[in-house]
Amino acid sequence: MAKKIGVYVCECGTNIAEKVDIDKVIAAVSPIKDVEVAERHKLLCSDGGKEFIKQSIAEHGLTHVVVAACSPKQHEVTFMNVCEQAGINPQLSQLANIREQCAWVTSSAEEATDKAIRQIRAAISRVKYHAPLKKKEVVVSPDVLVIGGGIAGIKASQLLAAPDRKVYLVEKASSLGGKVKSFSKLFTNMESGSSLITQEIKSLLDNKNIEVLTESEVEQILGFLGNFEVKVIRKAEGKEQNFNVGAVVLATGFELFDPKGLPQYGYGKLDDVYTSLEFEEMNIPDGPTGGKVLLKNGKPPESVAIIHCVGREEKDYCSKVCCLYSFKFDRMLQSQLPGVKVSHFYSDLCIPGKSFQKFYEGTKEMGVEFVRSAKTEVTGNGKGLTVKYETEFGKQDSSTTDMVILLPAMESSGDAQKFAEMLNIPLDEKGFLVEEHQLLSPVSSAVEGIFVVGCAQGPQSISESIVQSEAAAGKILSALVPGRKLELEVRVSEISESLCLGCKTCIDVCPYGAITFDETRRISVVNEVLCHGCGNCAAACPSGAARLKHFTFPQIYQELKEVLR
Amino acid sequence: MTGERAMTNKEQNAPVLVIGAGIAGIEASLLLANSGRKVYLVEKTSYIGGNVIKFEEVFPNMDCATCMIAPKQQELLANENIELLTLSQVEAVSGSFGDFSVKIRKKARYVDLENCIGCDACFDPCPVEVDNEFEERLLKRKAIYVPCAGALPNVPAIDTENCLRFKGQDCKACQEACMFEAIDYTQQDEDIDLKVGAIVIATGFSMFDISKTTEYGYKKLSGVYSAMEAERICASNGPTQGQIILQGGEPPKSVAIIHCVGRKEKGYCSSVCCMASLKLSHFIKAKLPEVKISQFYSDLCIPGKAYQKFYEEVKESGVDFIRAVVTEVSKSGNELAIKYKTEDGKENTLTVDMVILNPALEPGADSSKLAEILNIPQSKDGFFSEKQPDLTSVDTIKEGIFIAGCAQSPKDIAETVAEAEATAGRILSLSK
Repeated sequence: MAKKIGVYVCECGTNIAEKVDIDKVIAAVSPIKDVEVAERHKLLCSDGGKEFIKQSIAEHGLTHVVVAACSPKQHEVTFMNVCEQAGINPQLSQLANIREQCAWVTSSAEEATDKAIRQIRAAISRVKYHAPLKKKEVVVSPDVLVIGGGIAGIKASQLLAAPDRKVYLVEKASSLGGKVKSFSKLFTNMESGSSLITQEIKSLLDNKNIEVLTESEVEQILGFLGNFEVKVIRKAEGKEQNFNVGAVVLATGFELFDPKGLPQYGYGKLDDVYTSLEFEEMNIPDGPTGGKVLLKNGKPPESVAIIHCVGREEKDYCSKVCCLYSFKFDRMLQSQLPGVKVSHFYSDLCIPGKSFQKFYEGTKEMGVEFVRSAKTEVTGNGKGLTVKYETEFGKQDSSTTDMVILLPAMESSGDAQKFAEMLNIPLDEKGFLVEEHQLLSPVSSAVEGIFVVGCAQGPQSISESIVQSEAAAGKILSALVPGRKLELEVRVSEISESLCLGCKTCIDVCPYGAITFDETRRISVVNEVLCHGCGNCAAACPSGAARLKHFTFPQIYQELKEVLR
Repeated sequence: MTGERAMTNKEQNAPVLVIGAGIAGIEASLLLANSGRKVYLVEKTSYIGGNVIKFEEVFPNMDCATCMIAPKQQELLANENIELLTLSQVEAVSGSFGDFSVKIRKKARYVDLENCIGCDACFDPCPVEVDNEFEERLLKRKAIYVPCAGALPNVPAIDTENCLRFKGQDCKACQEACMFEAIDYTQQDEDIDLKVGAIVIATGFSMFDISKTTEYGYKKLSGVYSAMEAERICASNGPTQGQIILQGGEPPKSVAIIHCVGRKEKGYCSSVCCMASLKLSHFIKAKLPEVKISQFYSDLCIPGKAYQKFYEEVKESGVDFIRAVVTEVSKSGNELAIKYKTEDGKENTLTVDMVILNPALEPGADSSKLAEILNIPQSKDGFFSEKQPDLTSVDTIKEGIFIAGCAQSPKDIAETVAEAEATAGRILSLSK
């Protein structure tokens, strides 16, 4: 079919017209082959301007449209919509930016006019090579896999489960509840963590739309947003279970840094030196001491030293919640052992937000001592423990104590690494799962459809972990609406089967994990659901097999040829 | 949630009201709208982007803030499910979850959003010059104005308090300069009634007013700036086009950044000021490598996996960290003398030529009025109170009303965005 191109030049008020001689531009581009009509308009993006183009398309039976106006960032979509409404495939249009890249930045009117002509010529030349790419839609599963049955995973499951959305919650341990299960109290309300988690688990188990798989391990996840194939091994039964989900939430939680690696604290060698989690367990009624804070000799301690930031220097980050839960410990100690002397050895108090200063001040009012210290060591002589430290001003000092509680750094659980490898999600140098964008996409991962919440992605309070679970639910509920299909980006890359040499260069440069290697055919394959059309693969491919639709070699060549001619 | 009641038809797919078009309001609106919900986004100023667009760069990766948020802003403006109401405030709310009635007062912009192309031709002829609040009053603006270059929507508004025409004079300078008949003095303020199913409060923060303190010489001594003023001085679209210069036009040779200004008065740690101070150090040091920077702080609060590294980088770049309480800033010749006391009780003095004060974060200016309208309790400092402080920060005691971002407590951008997404999660799950 013969090509009939319409060219529309926008005056943009005086923005373009006062620099570019538009009549001269029209005269220069009108005779170009296949240009059916070339006209000027005061403001093409206005309703009148859009109507003007639509009528002109109909009147002249156009097949392609070139608009010379502002930046595509501003109005490419506007004019694509005009084309679509007028019955032309929107990809068969091209916007020449003669405002930002020409009128606004060129001082001589003559040069600006010449440049505008070149840009429009280039657009005309390019648009002839555009392909009428069609929008594609894919069916998606609204179901979700949640990995990790701690508070984050439980909350995410509860929010997501619905009659038209099934949630699979996979937990490797034999019971749900994660770390919170062993917290006798929570900061700042001092309510019981174990009873909270018991209630949450009960409501979870009552939910018919959640399938809980305990003592189970996720063995494999293959696929992409809207369509992940999951294989789970149910260890107790020795059975394999397979299902399909649209999204995955990773809530694999944390472990504590092992203080055994730091001999100065005496942990594992000296009696009565505990980690914070061991102290928590000492406080739960069905714990090792029946809920009593006791020394190894069976007596209650008269003095307790709490040492902050254990492993902070080694891990190289602040674990965010240790200061806060240490004030909780103060209250637990005082209520069980009134009059007990408690001393904190710390460097900086990290108590961000509106409510924690008060919590801290409450602790101070109980008579708890705060000692700013560095290079803290714990020694023992069989009768008691001594905390040695250096003050802020370089002096050596020490104090004796019956019990030491270490507040070790939080680390991501080992499962983070397993899933990072399985799903091709980056881990940071500290072992935490990395967010898609630290600020703007704090619960998304680099792989679309996979979300990372709670301590799997960094030290976090319970409240922050829950917020992140709710955030992941928000992202999933927004993107995967039951019954709605997913519309795909049309300007994606494709890899020619005959040209691909199987060198996998494209796989290395793809930031979206959208390219996989087909081992049987020995070629790379693009997943159109995951591809964002960035063009990395097309630029890097040494054999010319990877091609970005709408930015193909002939299209770019035709454009450049006319700009430079 | 199983514990919560099942949906009714009214709740299902009911529109949502989002109050505040900062980063939290934008993110919540986008998620809700993309799920198919109608969203009314109410913003009291003439632009979207809130406080984030005042920052040249944001910690810890020194992303350009306006570049970072621009795609979200564009997506918001293009989203057909989102109705943006700028220059608007919530006046009354009644009803309950699933069935709220909302009254909005929308001030006239006097510039047509459709016809205006944002060419700025109307600014020059305007004879009025007043302080630009967005620029922390370090720059002037006209009575018809956009707060800064790049503001969105890129359509000016007429400030009727200062416009000569609205003071009774027959000035039409802006209208005559407009080629698109976009300026319409006949526009009227409107009362808009909305029916919504749920409400998101995302009204953000303001800064503690440093003029309430006397020890730092703020607004009295030349060379003493608030952190937000410093942010604008660093901004490439700000009053100095990003040149870090003092009032005399010279760059500073030495800078002191004082943390925790107003912490004692407010009684809480504002969570982000340590990192914001580190960021300013990083930024200033990059622009002025020879500058000497000292930070006065009491406790460094740099929580989470990503911030310690940034602190170490800043420290290694030669920034001094002095743990001390600043007792007085005074003039000393052409310089500023900072008197401070370390924890061992010793007093000392440091002279610099620029002082940046990092104040506490407070809730947004109209929080109390809004809290009253919505009947949501506030903390004594005016932050909106969450229902269960230790469980999730986004639920309020009123079903169907949620909070995101600094309206609830001081927090960083990542936490703010997570909360915005969480409000969407709560709303979409409650009414499934």
